[in-house]
Amino acid sequence: MARILVIDDNTDLLQMIRLLLEERGGHEAILAAEGEDGLRKAMENPPDLAIVDIMMPGMNGYEVCRRLRQEPATADIPIIVLTARGQEIDRRTAMEAGADLHIPKPVTMSELLERVNELLARGKRQPAAPLGGTIAFLSLRGGVGTTTLAVNLSLLLAQQSEQKPCLIDLSPSSGNVALQLGLRPDPNWSALALLSTGIGAETIQTYLLSHPSGLRVLAAPFVPIVGEGLPRDKVLAALSALRHSFPLLVIDLPSILNEVTMAALENADTIALVTTADPASIQATIGTLQALKGFQEKIRLILNQPVSRQPVSRQALERIFRRPIDGLVPFDPAQAQALARGKPLAYTNPDAPLAKAVATLVPALQPVRRAAAP
Amino acid sequence: MEETLRTGWLAVDFFTQSYRISGHVDVRQKSLADILNDSTTGFVRLEDAYVSPLDRPGEIVATYPAPHLVKANLTFAVVPHQEDALSRKQAYGRYLGTFLQQIFLTVPGFEIVGYLRLSARVDLRRVLTTEPNEFIAVLDGRVQASLRPDVTFTGGGILVNRRHIGVFCVVKEE
Repeated sequence: MARILVIDDNTDLLQMIRLLLEERGGHEAILAAEGEDGLRKAMENPPDLAIVDIMMPGMNGYEVCRRLRQEPATADIPIIVLTARGQEIDRRTAMEAGADLHIPKPVTMSELLERVNELLARGKRQPAAPLGGTIAFLSLRGGVGTTTLAVNLSLLLAQQSEQKPCLIDLSPSSGNVALQLGLRPDPNWSALALLSTGIGAETIQTYLLSHPSGLRVLAAPFVPIVGEGLPRDKVLAALSALRHSFPLLVIDLPSILNEVTMAALENADTIALVTTADPASIQATIGTLQALKGFQEKIRLILNQPVSRQPVSRQALERIFRRPIDGLVPFDPAQAQALARGKPLAYTNPDAPLAKAVATLVPALQPVRRAAAP
Repeated sequence: MEETLRTGWLAVDFFTQSYRISGHVDVRQKSLADILNDSTTGFVRLEDAYVSPLDRPGEIVATYPAPHLVKANLTFAVVPHQEDALSRKQAYGRYLGTFLQQIFLTVPGFEIVGYLRLSARVDLRRVLTTEPNEFIAVLDGRVQASLRPDVTFTGGGILVNRRHIGVFCVVKEE
């Protein structure tokens, strides 16, 4: 039996939910008709779960969620937002306020109880673990914003943590990670190909650029490489050396499944597959998902919107790809200027829609934790 | 206990040129379409209205227990189900001899796509000219903010104020 706090100004609805939770669910319901009263009850005796309405006079449900998350005693309890404000923007606002689930009204009693029990079974919120390991950003269609997302995610994490990540640009054809960061790509990895000795943790440091945020960068050469670029064994050696010095590696991969890309994908803990809603990108993504079937478990599908119009909805894309989209990055008109100035939004304007959206990708990019071998 | 949590109050998102106003309308006597198209009154009464500016449509900046909205200044209203956007007469009959026509239209700040339910003989131009109702029902509608394409609103029905329509297009089926 769980203790469930229900906060809703509609007293008839409160009674219906109480009957549902107590008689059908076998839970204990604590009722509050106002946000302030609900918060007080939550502080006095923290519940196992809270169901919160949004449209309430006085303190609205978003504020209730924020306050619950701020207090250590209630910071981890699962929160369901049950509201007549059922639009996508409302779901996003509820999640930003700290909700775990957004259920639009009207809802059937069975569905509500089902969702309550699901959330209770999931247990308390786990604080987001810092990202670690290796994340590879890939799209076989160029121009979909893969580099932009890799750069902004790396900068965001560099500013959040004492332990700085390393961003690696593996493009053989004038990769533009350094360009986006406003850095001159010298040194870059081209000289690594010529090294006759092994690539150790100390050696690799001399090839890295430093960004003012603390982010370190292994840049691609400015002049396109004729041929394959860095050979597979050097890529593996470089990644291995970098792993000794950095808790997180972010790799920006070229738009091709060559030996280098495959080596990086094999070594990645998470693959961020970036797509857009234009037909060429959709086709490339379908093909990539088929080609990388063996990596299914670590692929995260990220829908980027680099232009203002999105011709196909997220739901339609999920039907086409036959899998959920794990992260969404909306169009941000400020991105074009950020790119031109070499000042990424995650560094210069963390409140920009793109920077905020990149921050929301972090939980989705957590690597799948595998059970330890017996 | 299989009932849906619904009452005689309908949750509606109303939009003016600057604000989104969410609230409840008493639809026990008349459907929302009938209320909005009732020419004997220029106002619609809301219960518990929550106001969001259109540049921050998810944020609630004000709450009022019983405001009145001026119908003429409403651009459109979004309701969850198709029947909420139809008049009682339409909702409970006259399915025979009707067809759905996909349309695209613009109102200040928004683009709307969806379907009109029409009788086969109707001339579409009448919808904008001689149609007596001020608010036309766009079914399975999707509204997109013109300057913020990430902001969309969907509903089983959108009641659009004809006087605010800028562009009205019939979408030809491919």
